[in-house]
Amino acid sequence: MSELEESREPRPDCSFAHASEAELARILDFYQVAWEYEPQVFPILWDLEGNVLESFAPDFYLPDMDLFLEMTTLQQRLVRKKNRKVRRLRELYPHVRIKLFYARDFRALMLKYGRAALVSELSGTVGQFAPGPVERSIGDGSAGDLSGLGSPEVPERRSRSARRRAARRAAAAYAAGSPSV
Amino acid sequence: MKPSPDMKQDVAEILLTEEEIRAKVAELGARITADYAGGELTLVSVLKGSLPFMADLMRQIDVPLRIDLMEVSSYGGAATESSGLVRILKDLSAPIDGRDVLLVEDIIDTGLTLNYLLRYLRGKNPRSIKICALLNKPARRLVEIPIDYIGFEVPDRFVVGYGLDYGEVYRNLRFVGVLRPEAYEEQSQA
Repeated sequence: MSELEESREPRPDCSFAHASEAELARILDFYQVAWEYEPQVFPILWDLEGNVLESFAPDFYLPDMDLFLEMTTLQQRLVRKKNRKVRRLRELYPHVRIKLFYARDFRALMLKYGRAALVSELSGTVGQFAPGPVERSIGDGSAGDLSGLGSPEVPERRSRSARRRAARRAAAAYAAGSPSV
Repeated sequence: MKPSPDMKQDVAEILLTEEEIRAKVAELGARITADYAGGELTLVSVLKGSLPFMADLMRQIDVPLRIDLMEVSSYGGAATESSGLVRILKDLSAPIDGRDVLLVEDIIDTGLTLNYLLRYLRGKNPRSIKICALLNKPARRLVEIPIDYIGFEVPDRFVVGYGLDYGEVYRNLRFVGVLRPEAYEEQSQA
């Protein structure tokens, strides 16, 4: 066992919204890059009373890179929506680093790793990250300087209502300091 | 997979000619020579893609140097199924503690392999580590790593040649070219 491998801890079960997300998680694990799945919810739209109308939970957070990743490998019509959310996130939280991972990026990654045939197989399927002795991650799970925004310990995809509740909590945490919209 | 007997037929466009590569390698060699003047250097090449670049670059560097080779498993390869983790397939053959190391890469795109290698090599206590990459594809970057010497920035297309492969083929092309999409679509279905 190498020096790097010794520092890894077993990762709990994690369900993904899309198989491509599970595949990216496997790639990150393969290269021993720590990741968290949807650890934080960012409010991006409020009403006049300060209630959160819209929020955004990027798919991955890479704590060692302090980088969020958002995958847009689903239908093309969703890409514009995600582009808008990312743009909004960057306006409201300029210190947050986020990278959009488009379908073409995922295809290129699969091509690079000789798994081009997987792209069509993965399209539209639900992802399930099966835990096993080989699928582990490194890192301590810290969420950088954004920990007040959500619950970084929750590695599973939340329902829409759960996201709304989390967004409301995050908005309350922001209280008077929340960016005006 | 079945590449065309004439590999050039699988290339849609030549991005970098043999002459352009040769000139750039000489330029990089001169910069590295100046930066390490009076010192010694250990070049570490990451197999297999950087082999032609390493072979040409080392002959353009005019300071005493040692070379070493490393190879790590790639995602999607045979090692993926057996372990699920990146593996050092070939380790350094000599210690690098206290030495100035220059990691020689053919291309840096996601930065995932490089990130792993840097962490591994830093654990061996070199005096310094710098990175020299012939090609840089920043559009693909997932892990931001400062690169000290860059030959060319390349567009976000699938490139082969001068060490770069698709399915272990095309490494011996003397230029860097863009692989025709039909080539990898056909080969992935074969």
